Parts: sequence; structure tokens; C-alpha cells
Amino acid sequence: MLFTTLNFAAFLVVVLVLFYALPKPARRYLLLAASLFFYMAWNVKFVALILGLITIDYFAALWIIRRHGAPRRMALLVSLFANIGLLGWFKYANFVRETFLQLAHPGITVQPLDIILPLGISFHTFQSISYVIDVYRGEQPAITSYVDYALFVAFFPQLVAGPIVRAKEFFLDYFNWRAPSGEEWQRGIAMMLTGFVKKLICADQFAIAADRYFANPQAFPGLLPAWSGTIAFGLQIFFDFSGYTDIAIGVALLFGFHFPENFRRPYLSASVTEFWRRWHMTLSGWLRDYVYISLGGNRHGRARTYANLMLTMLLGGLWHGASWNFVIWGGYHGAVLSIERVVWGRGEKRGLVRIPLAILTFLIVNIGWVFFRAKTLAAALFVVGQMFTRTAGELMLTPIQIKLAVATLAVALAEEYGGLLTRLTVSPAWVRTVAVVMALLAIELFTASDQSLPFVYFQF
Amino acid sequence: MNETELPGIRKAIEALPREQRRALLEWLIESERGVAVAEPAPPAIRKPKPVRRPAAPATLRQAVLWSIASIAVFFLLDAAIFRSGWYLRYLAPDSTTGQLELNVFWLRHTLPGKAPEAAVIGDSRVAEGFSARNADAGAGDRIHFWNLGVPGSSPRDWYYLLRDGDPDHRRFTALAIAMDRYSDEDGGENPSNRMSDLSYSVGRLRWSDCPDFAESYDAPELRRTVLTGCLFRGVTLRRDVQDFFAHPLARFRAAKAWRNDGKGYIDGYGGKPEDLTGLSVDFGTGAVNFPPGLKDWQKNSVNGFASSAKVPQTGALTAYRKLWLGRILDLYKDSPTRIIFLELPGGPLPPPRRETPARFIESVWRRPRVTVLPGETFRDLERPEFYADGLHLNHAGRPIFSERLGAKMAEIAGSR
Repeated sequence: MLFTTLNFAAFLVVVLVLFYALPKPARRYLLLAASLFFYMAWNVKFVALILGLITIDYFAALWIIRRHGAPRRMALLVSLFANIGLLGWFKYANFVRETFLQLAHPGITVQPLDIILPLGISFHTFQSISYVIDVYRGEQPAITSYVDYALFVAFFPQLVAGPIVRAKEFFLDYFNWRAPSGEEWQRGIAMMLTGFVKKLICADQFAIAADRYFANPQAFPGLLPAWSGTIAFGLQIFFDFSGYTDIAIGVALLFGFHFPENFRRPYLSASVTEFWRRWHMTLSGWLRDYVYISLGGNRHGRARTYANLMLTMLLGGLWHGASWNFVIWGGYHGAVLSIERVVWGRGEKRGLVRIPLAILTFLIVNIGWVFFRAKTLAAALFVVGQMFTRTAGELMLTPIQIKLAVATLAVALAEEYGGLLTRLTVSPAWVRTVAVVMALLAIELFTASDQSLPFVYFQF
Repeated sequence: MNETELPGIRKAIEALPREQRRALLEWLIESERGVAVAEPAPPAIRKPKPVRRPAAPATLRQAVLWSIASIAVFFLLDAAIFRSGWYLRYLAPDSTTGQLELNVFWLRHTLPGKAPEAAVIGDSRVAEGFSARNADAGAGDRIHFWNLGVPGSSPRDWYYLLRDGDPDHRRFTALAIAMDRYSDEDGGENPSNRMSDLSYSVGRLRWSDCPDFAESYDAPELRRTVLTGCLFRGVTLRRDVQDFFAHPLARFRAAKAWRNDGKGYIDGYGGKPEDLTGLSVDFGTGAVNFPPGLKDWQKNSVNGFASSAKVPQTGALTAYRKLWLGRILDLYKDSPTRIIFLELPGGPLPPPRRETPARFIESVWRRPRVTVLPGETFRDLERPEFYADGLHLNHAGRPIFSERLGAKMAEIAGSR
């Protein structure tokens, strides 16, 4: 059930009405049932998988707090093995098998195993892993109610594509639940509408140019198509993914849950380090806390710091998909982060110097997107080669898409320096009403695709 | 800070009011999140300027009511634009919706003259191959004809055009419904699932029509899409609106020109000058021998005409005709209008005619005030010199067809 369908709108209205109509103790059952129904609308049988993982992690956490020494560690390992093992099987089995077979028999064509990737597995396994590790580290009490824990993992707004919510964030709201204030409700509505506009108007519009280019980059030689096609994809993936999480955050707010921010206008960053503080922030935070710091962080000298950084980003790349392109994408960002640290240190630039640095960062990030989007490594290398050729070629973006890109930049700047959305949610009712009506009309009339296109991050 | 201080800090935090605890935790999370994957760094993201809040923030109840009110305002504005008729006046004249709407506009805004009126309705074969002026002449100018052909349209669209264009169902002395063939042989496409019908008819569909219109689609997955497109006309007219915003002044001018003079353009149209003289087709193999000098659009159309793959017969066309042509008959059942069914000439060469039953025609020909012209009536026009392509009569074929049809209709309607 896509967020952008009328099915979801009907589902949300029904669940909201029931949620506020039911007495408080019954609401958790409603939310869990609704969440499982939401997941089942995609694939019924994979509900067993998610419930199986929930059960393992639930009991593992209880075991961890009730035992000491080896049994405690064993419970942690069982949980990690179950989560990473299933994630590995569903997501990486074909990649590993293909890599090994091609190493053993160069030139062989490997037929992939028929494995369907369960929707959202990368997100809910990371959420579960963080919970069990936090319990193990003593940073999070184990949840004694199965329903409570199951709801934390399966809560439908974030189940499929994040944001990756930590247990302490979720249960802070959950155990101290209060109805959202009027302002929070308004913010939730504003977030949802922003997400719909980002996805339906912006992402799907830029997808037209990106899909056209990356379907066959060789058909569009030259510098202009390489850059404009890649930038189209960079804009598509930002609006697509941040649109999804905006909707998720907005929906959660309507139920009184405060999800963490996931994107903070990343393309205004003046360095790649800053970009990663603003892009997919919940994944960045997860990788920092459970990979980078676990590897030693920056506590063991420069060389080890860079190695840890590189390894963390390689894993981050691999999290996105099982192919060498994603590994290269992660490695590319790890390398750029390391170089930035050597050249500029960790401080952020202020003032007018941010303008050229932001443009430079945007271009660097977009070179990375080539590996993220291209179908094969050869295609990616071709595109990168074209980015530095002297032939001009044809611009992939249409005038409408260029105007849209400029308009969204203006809105991003207004939000960055003027808090546009925040101001809107506390503005007089008539201003908010005009904004909502305009957003709904824009969605009705300027949606780029006639069909409901799935969100890009569903494949991760 | 050493570990012995922790219990004291915890107690102090627990003693705080809930709101302060939340604020503290949010601050902690925020400061943690400000750290990049790389390593801890100062959270230097520029914060938006503080916002001046209204004196009395809305309660949840007020916010929910505001949400509902905003959606209601959206519906009202949407209706004001797309259901008041305002936007329909400025549709692109050559769009699917625009062509059907222009016919409705002209019917509503043209007062009947002294002579009785008759109309011929159909798809592009009528729009292109029928001339109202020639038909008038064929009827000895005792009847004034309307060409209600809309390229690409189908009986579902014709029903809504006639329902709204001739609301009292008494305007015409005769109404001819042009069928490509009487036989109910199914083609490759199930006509009930034609999505383009929504585009043609959307301007005519009232809210109360939407459930029934969507239900008339056989494919369940299409019904929801059609229902959405019917309830929210803007969704169906999206491309037209986007084009409107791209060139608003040109659209205003074109729409106005077509409303005022479009019927004159159509009546004055003489037909396509091209012909297919020299064409031969082996319908057994589908091989086409083109005369020299044909353009691609002609060849593509002739190739479509020459290919006659047989598909499994499901009765879909019979059911579709019974539903939508049946509804047209029901519209006129108590009116003086005589309904005339005719089979159009089949193409530039006589196509092989399979012995497929014409179940719909057989079910209606005995009805009062319904006439079914014999299928052979216009078959002598199936000659390459009368066709511009595989489907449409040209400047030589259309006057003959139109005059003969005009004379026939006048004869049946008793005006000649």
C-alpha cells in the first residue's frame, strides 16, 4: 500500500478515527493490527518473517537483562545472527554467490536465485539490531510487553522505508503518550503534504529525465547529458526519499509520535561531511553509533580513524544494495570524507564562501550518484567519463524541470534561512488553509506520472 | 563526571516535569544527531529564526476541524474550476475532452433552425468521412445535419454527449449511429476497458455518474483509477491544465476561436486529398502492395486495416454494445427521434467478412422508431480511390457517402 494512493488515504482515515475512538489501552492493539495489515497489503507471507524476527529479538533482549556473562553475549549473538543472517540471505545471497562463481569461473553467466526481497527489511532489521545492542549496552531497558515491542518494529509509518527510529525515541512517546497538540497536528498535515508534493510533483518529474538518460547513457554522449541526467537523478532520489520520510513523520505526528528528522536540505551543504549530517540522518546516526564507534571511531590515531571511516561508508553503501556499484559509492564517499578531514578539518564554513563550496559539494555528491543509479559498473564509468569530456551534447532536463529545480532551491533556501514550513504551521488559519488548498490542487494537477510509482528506497 | 554521580543525576532528571524531561531528551538526541558519521563535530547547522507563535495555539479539536475545513475548501474550489463549466470552456480544442465538449457546446448554443435537424454520431470515420453540408444537399436541404463524429470516441462517450447535448431528446428528427461493423466479433481490445473513454467523457460525468461509470469497466484494477479520475476531474485533465499553464493566452484565443467558429470550420472541411489508387491487399497473408508515393501515416493505417488476426471470442463487444448503445436507445425511447443504425464502409478494399453474429443489431431492429440500414448500403464505397488511408474516406468518397446517407435518413424520417 503506497502512501501516495487513495487506498492509503482511506486506511489512514479509518485507523485515525478508530485510534481516537478507542480507549487508550486498546490503541496499541489497533496500531499493531493496522501495521501488520499495512504490511500484508504488500505480501502476506512475509509477515511471518517480520513476526519471527520480532519474537527472536524480544526474547533475546529479555534474556540479556536477566542473565550475565556468556549467556548474555549468546543472546546478543543469536539476535544479531538472526537479523544480519536474514538480511544477508534476502539481500546479499545472489551478490555473494555471483561474485564467488565469477571469481572461480571467470566469464560465467550466473543465473540469480529466485529470492524476493521483503519490503523494508533493511530498515526494520536495523531498528531491531539497535534495540538489542542498546539493551546489551544498558542504554535501553528491555521491553517486557510483546505487543509494545512488536509495535516499535512494525509501526506502519516507518516500517517500509524509515526513518530508522531508535527504541528510546519511540518508547519515550509511547510510554508517555499524549494526544498531539493542535500545532503538532497542523505540522503533521504540513509534513504529509510536503511529502506528497516532493514525491508526486518533484521526484516523479525528475525521474522522467533520469530514467531516460540512465536507460541507455551511451545514446546521449556528452557533458551536458551526463551532468543533467545525473543531477536529475540526484534531485529525484532526494525528493523521493525525503518525501517518503516527510509523510512518515507527518503520519506519526497525527498519532502523537515524534519521529526524528531524516533530511535537512542536504544539497545546501558546504562539504560532504555536512552533507552526511543532513542526508538520511537516521542511517548516518545508526552507522556512527553501531559501526563507526564500535570499530573504535577516532580513538586510535589518524590511520585507524580513516580506515574506520572508510569501512563504515563501505557498509553504508552495501546497505543500499547488493552490487559493486553501491560498494564503490560508499567507498567514494568514505574517501571524500577522509580527504575533507585532512584538508579542512571538521569545522563548518560560514558566510559567502558557502556558496561556491555548496556548488562544489553538490557536484561531488552527484558524481557519487552515478554509481548509485547506473545499471552496471561499465555504464557508471562511461557516465563519469562523459562528465569530463569536451563534447557538449543534449540537456536532459526540460525547461519545466529546470524551473522546478530553481523553484525548489528557492523553497529550500526559504526554509533554511527563514523557517518557511515552521512559520506556516503557526500562521493564521486562513493562510494555512490557502497553503493546504494550493498544495492539494498542485498534487491533483501537477503530479508527474499517471501511475503510482513506488518509492526508490522501497528496493533497499 | 564519575559514575557515582549518575544515580543523583538520574534522580534529578526523574524529578523534572514530563515536558522538561522531554525537552532534555530531545536536546540530547539533537546534539547526538548533529554528529556526522565521520565523527563528533560541532552541531553547526544554522537554525531557523525563532518563530513568533500565536497567543493561543489551536487545540487538537480545532486543528482537526481546520483540516476537515481545508479539505472542504479544496473540494469547493476544485468544483468551482472543473464542475462549474468554467474550465471546460478553455479546454484544448483538439484534445479528446475538448472535441466532445465543443460538440456539446455547439448543440447547446445553436438554436434549431426552421428545417428539422438530424445528426450522425460516430468516431473519426464520421468526423472525417461525413459532411453535414453534403448530407443537407442529399436531403434536398429539407433537413439540417449535424456531424457529431468525435475521433477515437466510442458508444460510451456518445451516450454522454447525447444525454447532455440533447437534454430533452427531441432535437433531432433522426439520429444515425455509425458502426464500424454490425458483427459483434471481438477485436484485440475489450471495449469496456478503454481508459480513453474517461478522457472523452470526463466533462460530462456528474458526481452521481462516477460509481456507475467506473463499474462499467470490466477490469477491477481500472475501476478505482476511473473512479478517482471521475471524482477529481483535474486528475484526468492534468495534461490539459499543464499545457494551459504553459501557454495560457494562446489557449484562451484558440478555445474562443473554436467555440465561435469551429462548427463552421468543420462544416467547410472538404476532406483529405490523398487517395490509395493502386492499393492491393492479400487478406490471407496480410501482404500489402502499396502504390508509390504513400506517406507513413497512410501505410501504417493500411497495415492496420490489412491485419485481421482472430482473437478468442468472449462476447465482450456484444455486452458493451448492449449496455451503451442500449442506453442511447433508452434515452430516445419516448422521443420522436428515429434512431438509424448504419454500417460504415469497411475500408479501401472489401475486407473479408466473417460470419460472426450481429447479436446487438438483431436485438434492436424490431424496436419501434429504430431502423437498421442493410449492411451492404455503403459497401460499394470500399474502393481505394475513395479512401485517404486504411480507415477514412477522402475528399472523393465523403461527398458520395454523405449525400447518400442524407437522402436515406431524410427518406426514413419522412422529410423527402
